[in-house]
Amino acid sequence: MPWFLHLALRQLFPPGKRFPAFATVSILGVALGVASLLVVQTVMNGFGEEHRLRIRESFGDCLVTGPAPIEKPEALAKELAARPEVASASLFAEGPALARNGDFSGIAQVRGIDPTDPGQPARKYVVGGSFDDLDDGRIILGYGLARALRVRVGDRVEVWSPAMAERAEKGKAPLPAEFEVCAVVVTGFTEVDNAAALIPLRRFREIWNLGPRAHGLTLRLKEPALAAATAGRLAVGHPELRFRPWQDIKKDFLEAIRFEKTMLFFLMFIITLVASFSIGSTLFSAVIRRSREVGVLASLGAARWQVVALFGLQGLLIGALGTLLGFLLTWTILSFRDGILGAINSLFGGGDMVANVYQFSKVPLHYDASDFFIAAAFTLLTTAIAGLVPALWAAGRKPSEAMRDA
Amino acid sequence: MPDVVLQARGLAKAFASPAGRLPVLTDVSLEVFAGESVSIRGSSGSGKTTLLQQLGGLDQPDAGEVRILAPGAGLVAPRTSLGRGVGFVFQNYQLMPELTALENVALAARVAGASASSATEAARALLVQVGLGARLEHLPAKLSGGECQRVAIARALVNRPSVILADEPTGNLDERTGAEIMDLLLGVVADRGAALILVTHSREFAERAARRFVLSGGVLSPA
Repeated sequence: MPWFLHLALRQLFPPGKRFPAFATVSILGVALGVASLLVVQTVMNGFGEEHRLRIRESFGDCLVTGPAPIEKPEALAKELAARPEVASASLFAEGPALARNGDFSGIAQVRGIDPTDPGQPARKYVVGGSFDDLDDGRIILGYGLARALRVRVGDRVEVWSPAMAERAEKGKAPLPAEFEVCAVVVTGFTEVDNAAALIPLRRFREIWNLGPRAHGLTLRLKEPALAAATAGRLAVGHPELRFRPWQDIKKDFLEAIRFEKTMLFFLMFIITLVASFSIGSTLFSAVIRRSREVGVLASLGAARWQVVALFGLQGLLIGALGTLLGFLLTWTILSFRDGILGAINSLFGGGDMVANVYQFSKVPLHYDASDFFIAAAFTLLTTAIAGLVPALWAAGRKPSEAMRDA
Repeated sequence: MPDVVLQARGLAKAFASPAGRLPVLTDVSLEVFAGESVSIRGSSGSGKTTLLQQLGGLDQPDAGEVRILAPGAGLVAPRTSLGRGVGFVFQNYQLMPELTALENVALAARVAGASASSATEAARALLVQVGLGARLEHLPAKLSGGECQRVAIARALVNRPSVILADEPTGNLDERTGAEIMDLLLGVVADRGAALILVTHSREFAERAARRFVLSGGVLSPA
């Protein structure tokens, strides 16, 4: 071990002191900065991943629509399902309707789906009733819509489609379609939960006078992450249709999440910067306190770069140990995240935000190696600079002046 | 005739002060031979430490030059020979507080390029020679002033320099311990064949050197 590294370690961790004040406080400062940065980033990643999953589950990996209803949707579904990139293809039709329960009404975005499809994403989001009960006389409602209509599972609602208005214009008495609510879903997307109404596709076609047509297809892909490229390939030969990968469906929303994560990174990084500056200032005072020692090292023949290394390494060691402790702290905090959140909720009231607002059963998280790498690199860089500045100052002094001072 | 181990010619040094440049050394010349002891006496503020710093390369003179015999390199500028050609003993010992006595001495050898094992061995032998064989693993805070100065003497000698520059080595010690340290310093330095330049304001200790000088008004003259 080079002598300056040995001396740097001894100066940071003097023998006989279990928790030397300077090293302990500096390492803890860096660790807290790193942990704040990584906890926020990892939870933000979790929210992003969870939202991405929900987008995919709500809208499919790829949405196929046309300027008009698709004439032979079953044939198209069969053709697309046969493609190696596609896991499954299911038809859907959708349109707005007036939903009513006595004096309460609301605008419903009715979607006709295949209830026999085991991959129907709505199955995951049922919070009351049963998805399997969906048949021609039953309907599944979004939680917000069900509340607006004041209905629960087992209650009945009327659905008025635009096709009924056409019928009225032709002088025929329009009758609403009646359904019994068989399930309520919560997806976490307010716009979906406040308007979603699911009925079998067969019934939708009937109420909307759609015939054998469908409004589109939702595709499940074997590689959802490659949806954009896959959509491009699937679109070849179907110029009349639009193939939208899931990343495009909620592009602004995903961009907002990404932007939010970036902004939080910079805000949290400031904490690490503050920690590094405090290391710099503490190290500066330590260097001034050790001025005579710098002079002694010069009298022993130490080169300037070795004096720089002696103090610079102390900054770097604090950064490295603080980063490692920060990683450990991050893992610990995230392991007990729900307990910590529960404690915060019970302390400050306000209920469970994660469950009430985001509809997540627990705080989501997603570890991303690149976040850890970036946090480590930035921290090491800033603490190295924080150590280097006083080190350069010390090495630049005349030995005779250094020995006279302090 | 013994070899010249230190040669200073026409040294001058002045410091800036509110009243202008304040000359501390004016035309100081000195030659020291291998194995001899030289004392420089002077009142406080006479420039003794400044002269020692110029001789040892811790500071640059405004005029003149210093050459020190470095092992295998001949007479070179003191800056080049720091740690090898010249060793320092300071009034306040200037030991590294976080290192043990053994590590403090070994550090000087490590800085000069010795391996960890040979540095430790050389340090151990010297500390035993200065009577600290039982204090090797003690930190400076656990040593008395006299013991700290013994460690400092061992540190100054560990690289077998041709010149030892001692700046008031007994200044922080009581009379009896000071006398012991002087005995040790003169004995060990002579034993190793090094030259000693001793800066002190003590007439008694200065008298024990083979050649004696007085620094006054920036001029070095024989006592």
